[in-house]
Amino acid sequence: MKTTLRFDQISCRLQVEGLPDVSAGQASDAVGILTGWSLQWAGRPELEGRKEHLQALMTVVLPYARHLISGVQRRFGEEPEPVEIGPHPEGGHALLLRSSQPDTPPLQVRLDDAELADLVRVLDQLRTDPRLKLPMAAPAPEPLRARELEQRTPLIQRLAAPVGGALAVALVAGVGLLLPVPRPLPETEPAARTTTSAPASPARPGTTTRP
Amino acid sequence: MPDASDASPSSPASASGPRLSRRGLERLDLLLLVVEALDLNGGEAMLWTSEQLGYSHLFPNRVEFWKRRCTNPLRRTTRRDALAPAESEALIRILCSMADRLYPLLRALLSSAEPPEVTQQRWGLFQARLAELMRERMNLRRGAVHNLLDPEAGFPQRRQLVQTLALASGDGGVERLRASLLDAAA
Repeated sequence: MKTTLRFDQISCRLQVEGLPDVSAGQASDAVGILTGWSLQWAGRPELEGRKEHLQALMTVVLPYARHLISGVQRRFGEEPEPVEIGPHPEGGHALLLRSSQPDTPPLQVRLDDAELADLVRVLDQLRTDPRLKLPMAAPAPEPLRARELEQRTPLIQRLAAPVGGALAVALVAGVGLLLPVPRPLPETEPAARTTTSAPASPARPGTTTRP
Repeated sequence: MPDASDASPSSPASASGPRLSRRGLERLDLLLLVVEALDLNGGEAMLWTSEQLGYSHLFPNRVEFWKRRCTNPLRRTTRRDALAPAESEALIRILCSMADRLYPLLRALLSSAEPPEVTQQRWGLFQARLAELMRERMNLRRGAVHNLLDPEAGFPQRRQLVQTLALASGDGGVERLRASLLDAAA
């Protein structure tokens, strides 16, 4: 008998349909074989797909949310992937869904922060639902490295300190080059000359030798 | 809702896990402060949530809870001792539980579907309440506090804090927030 799992948030509803895998001894309300899923948005076209598409949605949306918490906005899901998400140039987030049909153009959905949070919550609910017996692998959230965190600082701001430092060094070096080279002291100390040509017997300390 | 029993022994911030960095402590306490700004009874609600999640042995009373929060270096009266991994894990779980409870409010702040005047009014109220709490508790000579209090320049940072809470709510929120607080120093 077909089982439907439904996860609701204010702006979206995720519905997963499937059957229990009786050969694996699953309960009647479990979903061990996924037959289809749909994501309904308020005022937007409904999204449908196979298990691979749902897995792809989870694989890009959850890491995107993880990076967003750290203030890093980067794109996830490059060209061959069926789902892509990244920051929208006009604000919010752009979710791009590529169809497996050859002549179907990709569908782009622009989400605001609230809609993205709703989407993350329904995906989390699905992932942690004990009735779902399918392995829905999503990358485990990991602390970001310093290199990844650099992206949240604008490039100009990041370059300001090293460029400023290099300019300061160049300026100081330039000013240093403009200064005249100090002249050697005139040799007007006959005592020193005498001292250098002094006989083998050294003078006692504290005495001066006159020519 | 996250539960204390969810903490697996192998989780990164369990009793033997890594300690939060200075920046992690700052963010954790600021997020708790945002919760208090959103919920007028937030302080009491945190203690109640702590009891519900089974953390009474870590925070037996409000003074102990307060002392742990004072490890934030941005506080007016800050404590130098570091937060134990079990304590930081408990605070993260309390925070995520509170964020889950306040999710409708967080969502309303982040939504662009609401009329702009209503959204502006909500942000105005939130900013006023947060500024009041920060002036009361934070060291106003610190640049980070000053920036966050600025009505114009501090807005992206305040929005980032609200967005963080929205994404930290729900079933996977604890792992996301914990990983974020353990980020390397940029």
